[in-house]
Amino acid sequence: MYKLLLCWRYLRTRYLAMVCIVSVMLGVATLIVVNAVMGGFSTKLRERLHGLLSDVVLEAYTYDGFGNYEGKIELIRHDPFLADKIIAMAPTLESFAMIQFGYNGNPFYQRAQLIGIELESRSAIGGFAEHIVLRKGKPQFILDEVATQRVAAQKKQPLEIPLAVPPFPGQKIDAPEGIELPKVDSLKPIPTPPPSQNQEFVPEFCILGHAMAFRRVELPDKPAKDICLIQPGDDVVLTTITGGRLSPVFGRFTVCDYFKSDMSEYDSNYVYVPLSYLQKLRSMEGRVTSIQIRLKDERNKQPVVDRLKYLFGDSLQVMTWEDKQGPLLAAISIEKGILNVLLFLIIAVAGFGILAIFSMIVVEKTRDIGILKALGASNSGVLQIFLGYGLLLGLVGALFGSGLGLLITAYVNEIEATLSWATGLEVFPRKIYYFDRIPTDIQTYQVVLINVGAIGIAVLFSVLPALRAALLHPVRALRYE
Amino acid sequence: MTHVFPLLAVRGLHKAYRQHQLTVPVLHGVDLDVYNGDFLCILGASGSGKSTLLHLMGTLDQPDQGSVLLDGERIDNAPGPRRDKLRNATFGFIFQFYHLLPELTALENVLVPPMIEASILGWFWQGSAYRKRATELLERVGLGHRLHHKPRELSGGEMQRVAIARALMGQPRVLFADEPTGNLDEEKGEEIVGLLRDLNRRDALTMIMVTHNRDLVAPTDRVVRLVKGRVEGASTPPAEQPTVLEMPRRMAL
Repeated sequence: MYKLLLCWRYLRTRYLAMVCIVSVMLGVATLIVVNAVMGGFSTKLRERLHGLLSDVVLEAYTYDGFGNYEGKIELIRHDPFLADKIIAMAPTLESFAMIQFGYNGNPFYQRAQLIGIELESRSAIGGFAEHIVLRKGKPQFILDEVATQRVAAQKKQPLEIPLAVPPFPGQKIDAPEGIELPKVDSLKPIPTPPPSQNQEFVPEFCILGHAMAFRRVELPDKPAKDICLIQPGDDVVLTTITGGRLSPVFGRFTVCDYFKSDMSEYDSNYVYVPLSYLQKLRSMEGRVTSIQIRLKDERNKQPVVDRLKYLFGDSLQVMTWEDKQGPLLAAISIEKGILNVLLFLIIAVAGFGILAIFSMIVVEKTRDIGILKALGASNSGVLQIFLGYGLLLGLVGALFGSGLGLLITAYVNEIEATLSWATGLEVFPRKIYYFDRIPTDIQTYQVVLINVGAIGIAVLFSVLPALRAALLHPVRALRYE
Repeated sequence: MTHVFPLLAVRGLHKAYRQHQLTVPVLHGVDLDVYNGDFLCILGASGSGKSTLLHLMGTLDQPDQGSVLLDGERIDNAPGPRRDKLRNATFGFIFQFYHLLPELTALENVLVPPMIEASILGWFWQGSAYRKRATELLERVGLGHRLHHKPRELSGGEMQRVAIARALMGQPRVLFADEPTGNLDEEKGEEIVGLLRDLNRRDALTMIMVTHNRDLVAPTDRVVRLVKGRVEGASTPPAEQPTVLEMPRRMAL
């Protein structure tokens, strides 16, 4: 009983003990915040990565793709083992491409990932329709009303500096009689051909990655601004290669919508076009490069993967989304592990603080220890006082630390804003990361683990001073001045 | 008022302190009998080993040679828990520097011995009874109005009274007082000794008081003089003679 009372009194009357508590508290708070933020990043990133990738992909080894994809889809659909495990399948034709467009008379060139899809099946896979900007959830390869009006107005009254890219030689559009098509010259503004009077050219539409259409411009003394380079209704030219013979082909596409997943890698590369047109353009009728598959139970992929491997053997590769993003996911998890080890060293440092301060308190309390022993306290009783004291310090520190950590985590974006405002530096540059807000993810088991670890370290480091106190000779302790 | 069988018997007690490689002998063969109800004064100059003798009798320390017997049972070499229990319940201690725990109030200080003895559960069971007894003891030593004061808020005499109440809390059979007046002025000192005599007379509590002050000794007391680690007039030969070299060092300490 005296142990409890003395622990409690020592805790309340020693200012040095507060130092221990604060150091444990800061360590615990740091660990919780860092884990929450890193966990938030990794969860969000996984979500995003997985959001865009289907659960399982059946993929060709080359850009040539494979034929008879409808047959394969039917085969999978009617497979007795797979039938009830699959929600949706989407044939996809992927290729690299170069995208060209003009802005303010200047031509822009950029690499792009060209993806031919069927809107309906691709939307069923997920990770697509919800990222569409204008027709969120209901993507369509047609212009919306505003863009249609804008295009119509442009046709009536062409802009002084034309925006559109001129048609290229070989493209199947009929130039009006008597008008010479301009030569392509990348260094000079290119005049657009006057709109056709007699025959309406119907271009194919494409959905463009948001980051390709918008550029963030940072001017000194001004807030950063996104400039729209390509508006809905503007045309872009996509150059890619045919399947098999590898000869270049290009097509002109009208941008009808944007794709914004907040993953800069995708937003700055992906261009979605209709599958059938891309097949025609690349002379790959009836061929696709991959079939994306969405499962009922995402976590239970392995049997499906095994079955698909059995069905298609070596002719196609079967990959899960984690396989496709393996290195990135592994890097995140390694990073998190190392950071945790390093941060636990912070608590270990707090532990050494406890060791030092406890040793001081034992010296300071030498006489009291003698008194307790003279009154019949056993060695183990004295040991327990100081171990209990360590436990109490750890407990209080961990408790306050958890509170502080959870509070900081809850208001991390507000804190970041305040810090940015106060220092004038951008603490969390949104351009670099994939997210607008700092994502956080608090795992209960992690918080519990951190607390247990911190309390454990506090007790561990109080063992030595506690043993010293317990083994003090009562007479020597009583004589101690 | 002596009985045939001594309550505490000390036989051929030797004790030396070791400092580095030097041995400093303190007691060389002390024999002593303490009978139930005695008021025994151990007189001696500083350095004569009287505090050491008290510690050995109270099982705070262990002798190099010789034995201490309580009711005929050897207690000097008893296992740790047994000696802890003896100090807790059978012996009471009063020290020159009071030795109260500074974080606790007067009442809590008095409650320390039963707290050491009782488990947490036992404390919830009997805590109020202990509290009542501690309050009564503090009232008896004249501190009924000072129950909730911390030691630093008390005077020297008051602190020593708290220490006496604490020593009585375990209903001891022997009370050891190590220079109980050493830190007090004459008047307060006499009050404290008066209190101890009162306890001895009324409760027949066996009292062993160590002091260097002859004025505190009453004619009725048993007196033992300790000179250079031996009881004066005792014939027991010392087992170990201090060397000529060691003696001055000892005195210097």
